[in-house]
Amino acid sequence: MSDLILQTIVNAVYAASYMSLIAVGLVLIFGVMGVINFAHGELYMAGAYVVVALYAESGMPFLVAVVLGLVFVGLLGLLMEISLFRPLRDNPLGGLIASIGFLLILQTTAVLGFGVRMAHIPPPTQEKIELLNGVVLTHQRLLVIIASVALLSLLYLFLHRTKYGWAMRACAQDREAAALQGISLSQVSRLAMFIGAGLAGVAGALTAPLVSPTPYMGHSVIVTAFIIIIVGGIGQLEGAIVAAILYAFVHTFVTTFFDGVIADITGLLLMLMVLVIKPTGLFGAKDRV
Amino acid sequence: MLLELQDVHVHYNKVAALKGVSMSVPENGIVTIIGANGAGKTTTLRAISGLTRISSGEIRFNGERIDNLPPDKIVARGIAQVPEGRRIFPDLTVEENLRTGAFLRKEKSGIESDIQEVFGRFPRLAERRRQWAKTLSGGEQQMVAIGRALMSKPKLLLMDEPSMGLAPVIIQEIARIIKAIVKQGVPVVLVEQNAELALGLANFAYVLETGTVSIEGAATELHENEHVKRAYLGV
Repeated sequence: MSDLILQTIVNAVYAASYMSLIAVGLVLIFGVMGVINFAHGELYMAGAYVVVALYAESGMPFLVAVVLGLVFVGLLGLLMEISLFRPLRDNPLGGLIASIGFLLILQTTAVLGFGVRMAHIPPPTQEKIELLNGVVLTHQRLLVIIASVALLSLLYLFLHRTKYGWAMRACAQDREAAALQGISLSQVSRLAMFIGAGLAGVAGALTAPLVSPTPYMGHSVIVTAFIIIIVGGIGQLEGAIVAAILYAFVHTFVTTFFDGVIADITGLLLMLMVLVIKPTGLFGAKDRV
Repeated sequence: MLLELQDVHVHYNKVAALKGVSMSVPENGIVTIIGANGAGKTTTLRAISGLTRISSGEIRFNGERIDNLPPDKIVARGIAQVPEGRRIFPDLTVEENLRTGAFLRKEKSGIESDIQEVFGRFPRLAERRRQWAKTLSGGEQQMVAIGRALMSKPKLLLMDEPSMGLAPVIIQEIARIIKAIVKQGVPVVLVEQNAELALGLANFAYVLETGTVSIEGAATELHENEHVKRAYLGV
């Protein structure tokens, strides 16, 4: 029994790591630009299909495909900002609807290019670490955990130690006041979209060999990401990470000991509970004017 | 003239907020804009800074048109603003707030020495440099907002209601700071509801009423103007 619990903890850490990447990207985009990016799940899916195309079908090294996945999906984000969100800057609802349109385009493109069936990806490595008797962490999952921690640390350093990092945080807190400091909102929005989308893309790329991608894999991910950002407090990056860990643990444990459907329901209940007890989320500040 | 507004109109949707405002700001001293709530004082500053689009008219800075440029380009020309309600970044530290003000500047050493200068001007901020800005008192937050605007090395400083919500002692301190800034050669456009304070500080004054300039003149003159006395000085 204790082995099973330990194994579930290991699984939850893995789930928390890639969910954090996705949720933090979504929070970053919302914070800086004020738009809810409904296509975020499909950016995750696009990252997975970069690995399908470059690694599974063309034989490129896995890690190269992952890096290209980050860059490619980051560029998709940039395209979204330039073609959709910038023209609709003063219209957050318009941005949301445009992002739903973009979601459908990405999904259809994936169906046309790769078919609707699950893509099979040969595992880049079969090796695993046996932590205790029977408790296993595969190298593939370990890679996801290490890469997630590394990327989130880099993001933290970027946001707190660099000029553009400050600019991005300033924009997330007060866009007009940021503009009055000479910060170009267009420039910072492009940067936020590249990073936010790139994080979703790299999450998809890293986990692709573990999940068997389909063009519709973004759906469940976006619901999860929304639960996480509501629990963590909208616009709070640290909140998103803590909430991702909390959610991953709850979800993984309930899945292991009951089943996946009950786990989904529990996740939603968790969100409702937070909304009732602390409507601004665990880390949310008071409403700002 | 450093800054000139010529027949500036601003509309929010279909509602006119400014109906042909003309003003000029010389290269030194303080120009104040007084008026009631909703007269268009804040809108005037927002239009100058590019936060609000003007529908007609011209705004010139150093002789060049700046109307409807994006805000960051206007800051780059040398116009900084201390916005209404201070609008500091609550979840940045005091020092980070100041550094955002220097966003467009490249010379590292100049930025460092200016940060020290701001801390010299506001010793209380130096003590609190690593605190979240949201933990400061109202007066301290106003100092952060002023310091932040100065960090861009402006050629012109716009200030929107710097006295708002502050205790009388603090207001006196802010007034001293404004005088010091002007003395160092940075002209100030001061928007105030506190007309007594504004006319006491300024050289020249405009009175805005429902989107137009109703009276203009030397501040000392306006201070004696019967209409101004009755409507804004509560005499």
